[in-house]
Amino acid sequence: MMYLSNRRQVLTSALAALGAAARAKAQASSAEPAIAGKSPMILHNDFPEDLEMPSEYFDQWLTPNDKFFVRQHIPRPDVDLAAFKLTIDGMVAKTSELKLDDLRKLPQHKVVATLECTGNGRGFFRPRVPGIQWGRGGIGNAEWTGPRISDILKLAGVKTDAPYLTANGLDVPAIKTPDFIRSLPMKKALHPATLLALEMNGQPIPSINGGPTRLIVPGWDGTSWVKWVNQMTVAGEANTGFFMNPAYRYPKYARPPGSPPVPAELEVIEGMRVKSAITRPSDDDKVTLGPVTISGYAWAGEEKIMRVEISTDGGSRWKDAELTPQNLNFAWRLFKMSWTPSKPGYYTILSRATDSAGNVQPIVAPWNPSGYLYNAIDRVGITVEKSA
Amino acid sequence: MKTVLLLSFALSAWAQDVDVAAAKKAEQRECTQCHSLRLIHSQRLSKAAWGKELDKMAGWGAPIKDRELLLNYLSAEYSDAKPVPNDPLSSDGSSKSR
Repeated sequence: MMYLSNRRQVLTSALAALGAAARAKAQASSAEPAIAGKSPMILHNDFPEDLEMPSEYFDQWLTPNDKFFVRQHIPRPDVDLAAFKLTIDGMVAKTSELKLDDLRKLPQHKVVATLECTGNGRGFFRPRVPGIQWGRGGIGNAEWTGPRISDILKLAGVKTDAPYLTANGLDVPAIKTPDFIRSLPMKKALHPATLLALEMNGQPIPSINGGPTRLIVPGWDGTSWVKWVNQMTVAGEANTGFFMNPAYRYPKYARPPGSPPVPAELEVIEGMRVKSAITRPSDDDKVTLGPVTISGYAWAGEEKIMRVEISTDGGSRWKDAELTPQNLNFAWRLFKMSWTPSKPGYYTILSRATDSAGNVQPIVAPWNPSGYLYNAIDRVGITVEKSA
Repeated sequence: MKTVLLLSFALSAWAQDVDVAAAKKAEQRECTQCHSLRLIHSQRLSKAAWGKELDKMAGWGAPIKDRELLLNYLSAEYSDAKPVPNDPLSSDGSSKSR
């Protein structure tokens, strides 16, 4: 036991000497599988891939593709790009089929938008709920490029007065699992920022993140961002499959933590809520007395982030953090603050974001049976030690 | 405290007579067509919640032969009384083609 804890101490100090990214790589044990195209990621699952971004990577406003998180529900498809076609059907005069080249010929639009797993932060709910125990890293921010959904529907000659657009991807059910199908209110589908993206950060979207065609629904939860889209159906009603109901629904009326869901009172999740998270330092870090950089991300769904405040004393006093300059709807802002503690000891650091509609992050995120939309004020504790 | 926990765990496992080796073979055979075992082993659930998961998976086509065997194994080994593990990092695959 002594041996183990000594070894851990040696390892910890050796790792502290390495740079952040190098540390992430060094911690990646060769015993764990590598995921093609991805840097070391928190491995919730390798088949199908559920990969969380480690805190060390949250230093860039645009998240590189090799570090972008992944959430798959069912094993992903092999995509034959030459044979790929997008079918537009349902309440249309005539079913149409578009090839990738047809989509590339439409006006291409760029949108920087944050994509967050609906269950990001699930691991912080108490009591715990089943599902992937995401921490802070089920989120990333990318520049997405592709045609607008409205232009695709126009090209297909679709009248857009139907209430829903249903999107299906090339992924197919495994054995008897449900197919991953999502319906979007037509109003959101026709929004100028809603795209069928072909590129992610200037590259064809990697298949693991939904290429060649991913629905971009800025400000809405990741579940709406259907991957490998090859069918869009104009519909009078929302799809009733598993991934619309009961999955990815949220209680209309909050109930005490631990209560079972009331199916009739569950609603489809749409926009995401104001949120910030501290990615540096990490919880339980030990640092030497001296300046400490506190950093992280904040975003607010369809709103903009106006302010992030940091407290280093458990919430008595708050100070504004510096924010990255791009102030856009749909995109996160990274925040940073340098803080020099005056004496050693244990410190509780908190972050609190405010959005352009005046919404402030709550102290407690409403508990819900599936652990969605976690957005409580973030908290890490660090120990500041005397310098030697 | 640890001894008490270990003892109570051993007793409950004994009481339920979990054939761990058989259960491990069964989960490998019956669960991995759709997902790897990591997805299971990173969860910590109550027996009731494990029962719900097994029924959901059976409904989705998992060829579960002995529900009791898996239920007793999962609720002993991956009980909500145990701490949730920190999932590891994957190895570096950034230079591998995707």
